[in-house]
Amino acid sequence: MAGGCQVQDEESLVRRAKQHDQEAFAQLYEAHFDKIYRYVTIRIGNEMEAEDMTQQVFLKALQSISSFKWRGIPFSAWLFRLAHNQVVDYFRGKKRAAMPLDESLASSDDNPQLMAEQKLDIEQLLLATKRLTEAQREVISLRFAGELSIAQVAEVMGKSQGAVKALQHSAIVALRKALSVT
Amino acid sequence: MKTSKEFDNVLDECLERVLVKGETIEQCLQSYPEQAAELEPLLQTALVAKKASAIQPRAEFKARARYQFHSALQEAASRRSRPLFGWFPQWATVVTIVLVLMLVGGGTVVAADNSMPDELLYPVKLETERVWLILTPSDIGKAQLCARLADRRVAEIIYMANKGDAQQVELIAQRLDKRLVMLAVLASAVQAEGVPEMLAPAPAEEAPPPAPPAPGKARGSRDVYALTDNRAKLRMTVAHYAANHPQALRTVLEKAPESAKPALRRAIAVSEAGYKRALEALD
Repeated sequence: MAGGCQVQDEESLVRRAKQHDQEAFAQLYEAHFDKIYRYVTIRIGNEMEAEDMTQQVFLKALQSISSFKWRGIPFSAWLFRLAHNQVVDYFRGKKRAAMPLDESLASSDDNPQLMAEQKLDIEQLLLATKRLTEAQREVISLRFAGELSIAQVAEVMGKSQGAVKALQHSAIVALRKALSVT
Repeated sequence: MKTSKEFDNVLDECLERVLVKGETIEQCLQSYPEQAAELEPLLQTALVAKKASAIQPRAEFKARARYQFHSALQEAASRRSRPLFGWFPQWATVVTIVLVLMLVGGGTVVAADNSMPDELLYPVKLETERVWLILTPSDIGKAQLCARLADRRVAEIIYMANKGDAQQVELIAQRLDKRLVMLAVLASAVQAEGVPEMLAPAPAEEAPPPAPPAPGKARGSRDVYALTDNRAKLRMTVAHYAANHPQALRTVLEKAPESAKPALRRAIAVSEAGYKRALEALD
């Protein structure tokens, strides 16, 4: 569940992006866009809102890249932190509950049966995650939708790796229970 | 019997082996026979959770988002490049443009201000707007101007849609998108200045573009209050347009010729998404 770029390449890209290299920033955008979208979608469960929020995350990243400091933790953790803050603001401001997933959420594929199965799986997963606590849903989103490592999740959530592993354990147990009733 | 902490580590190791390295659940369970009964259902559940990675953004959204991000990148780059080269080259550019416009005639510029995209003077209108943007020194001033220019683009879209000119509607929608991306970037910059918001009355619809202050002037407490006031005005202007522009475009959609409807729908989507981003940046 490592990030999309090799760490060394990513460090070099981030350094260039901080120096206002448009091409470097565009590469970081391409490397992380889908994962941020997946993370936001699982967190809020609404495609249109997730689209807007994903765009907002990258505009914020563009605005505040100069404040990013490389401390051995990948750029993706910083980006997910921005996304996390957006999600928190969204729920704080709108007081909305997660909504059902749209049918266009499953990855595009030429096989309609496979698409239908994927859609069903994703809908069931989303319904099940609604039964988790906010912290459990966060860890599931980051680990499985964002595909972050434990170290990266710990950075985003501001917790120790041990605490994240324990949370991951409880989240999977809770998800199993939730899936059995959906 | 292993402790809970040790089990958390074992579970995480198995997740890495099964989900990242592609090992089977059975292979992992063989490494931990004592925990196999507890591990197995959790790893099965993790495989279900892994299906979250099948979620993909829509291709149209991805293409639109990429275009808008690249526009924002270019806008950010152009804003950053100005201090590097100082005031003079911009000033020289503006003087050149103004001189050209004066040669063309001041009356022409005024007439061009009300021109529509199918009229001869429309390129003069766009060039004049570009000069306004260059002459406006502050982010908040530029953001306010972007909102006004977006208002103009919407009026032009309505005009061209009524004429059934889908190609022009498409072109103007792209210009509208560019202005709204710029507005969102500038709004983020304004918000990043961290001054608390105050309520203020809405701005006049057709106020003249703000005059540039002396270059290099330091910001005092009076300027901070002015910024706060202007930011509240900007928020209200954007909220007003966010409520009215998509609605105005939807009204035209009902009566517009069929040929113009696809482009008009794209314009509606652009205005809805653009104002939403700008408002989120200001919140």
